[in-house]
Amino acid sequence: MSELVIQTRDLNKKYGGRYAVRHLNLEIARGEIYGFLGPNGAGKTTTIRMLLGLIRPTMGSIQMFGKDLKKDKLNILRKIGSLVEYPSNYGHLTAVQNLEAVRRILDVPKSRIDEVLSIVSLTKEAKRPVKGYSLGMKQRLGIATALLGNPELLILDEPTNGLDPEGIHEIRELIRSMPKQHGITVLVSSHLLSEVEQMAGTVGIIREGEMVFQDTISNLQQQASSGFRLVVSEPQEALLLVRGQGYAGQLENGGLKLEQLSDPEVALLVKRLVDNNHAIYRVEEKRQSLEDIFMQVIEQGGFQ
Amino acid sequence: MVLRALSADLLKIRRKGVWFLVLLGSLGLVALQALNFGLRYDYLVRHQYKEDVWGGLISQIFDFVPIALVLGATLIASQIANVEHLNNSWKQLLALPISRTAVFTSKYLVGVIALTAACVLLFAGTIGLGLALGFSMEHIPYLKILKLSFLPFLGALPMLALQLYLSLTFKNQALPIMIGITAAIATMFSANYPDLLPLAWPFLAYNAKPAMPVAAGIILFIVIYLFGTGHFVRKDVD
Repeated sequence: MSELVIQTRDLNKKYGGRYAVRHLNLEIARGEIYGFLGPNGAGKTTTIRMLLGLIRPTMGSIQMFGKDLKKDKLNILRKIGSLVEYPSNYGHLTAVQNLEAVRRILDVPKSRIDEVLSIVSLTKEAKRPVKGYSLGMKQRLGIATALLGNPELLILDEPTNGLDPEGIHEIRELIRSMPKQHGITVLVSSHLLSEVEQMAGTVGIIREGEMVFQDTISNLQQQASSGFRLVVSEPQEALLLVRGQGYAGQLENGGLKLEQLSDPEVALLVKRLVDNNHAIYRVEEKRQSLEDIFMQVIEQGGFQ
Repeated sequence: MVLRALSADLLKIRRKGVWFLVLLGSLGLVALQALNFGLRYDYLVRHQYKEDVWGGLISQIFDFVPIALVLGATLIASQIANVEHLNNSWKQLLALPISRTAVFTSKYLVGVIALTAACVLLFAGTIGLGLALGFSMEHIPYLKILKLSFLPFLGALPMLALQLYLSLTFKNQALPIMIGITAAIATMFSANYPDLLPLAWPFLAYNAKPAMPVAAGIILFIVIYLFGTGHFVRKDVD
């Protein structure tokens, strides 16, 4: 296991009597893109605000870069670039002035401004007031601002929210290039799995404030509980036979829907059916899409 | 660290009307008296104030200084805070590697700098108007004009501190502005207030015994600033 950039232990945040985040153990390794998933209101933004020191945890600890956030806040924040929800640029200033306002606090060389503007391809629009920007441009400026201080960790909260497909694509490519080209670890939150699965290596799924899944995206795909569909000449009788073999199954659209089976089991079952004079028209494997798994995790609070 | 935040803040308030308010407040008072003395020149200069024309000009200007200070503090504080409120940029600003104390202190410094600039302009504007009205150059009462320009400001410091605290704390600026405008109007009756009422201090600071209101003004400013910092450092940012 490589070095952890973020590690939270039993993180809790309570608003009134309600837990917005509960018993959260987040682990993010250096150099990876971590997709932080969950429906709206699940506690993603609350978690991210805690990671950035904007709100205080009710309980639990946050370690970043091996240091405690409570004790070493400024040193930790120096290594982080962030974009929290909707853009927060100064509308009356130009892109360059926006970056300059942040640069004066970060105390990085002026040349960084041109560098980050070219990374997000805003160089041509840099001298216009930001209030005239499209949402996609504002969001890109937000990412430029996050990159200004040469961060080791980029925390992006819903960076593609409200963007059109082209904007989403641009931002996604930008995020994907971060670990490779700049060696930056990325935490990106979203409520859409389809968006995260194209860039993240690891995903954490949060539901009602609790982490219900945290693993690599390929392990999530393996969890895709596949089933089988058999189309046969006499479904009723075939079903009895299948059940007689000890497998669960049911009738569906004139075919049989079966649970997940290993290859030898499938071979044996087909042989039995043929031996009993069933004509087999189709044997199909059904793979769940990740989106289905996601919904399953969200609805049930985890895999059974 | 405070200086870095301050230099960022000075950039951010460009074109937000802060400097316009500074000009309007200070030179506005001068322009008002230019009109007053221009229209009633004979009466004011040859009759009412013929013994001491400079003193007359100063006392006419002073009538409007407390209300201008409190109103200016209110509007400038609100504009300083609005830069962050309107752009939802508190979260971006406070996630930067800078202490919240520095961020908060910098906002207070911007307020103090803006009002100080207005006081300097009032000082220069008063002298300029006196000379333009033909008052004698040898008898310019520099000390008196200096007191007129700066002592009421020191007395008004608690109002500035309170307005900054309210404006920075509440996203909705209606409450701080309402309180500020009410207070500004209330300063017109300062002569009737007990000495211990902070609202009377801008008025009392330019009188025979300015020590109490000036000292109290500075102390109360610091107290409110410290209280505000304590709150700002702890609060959750949405």
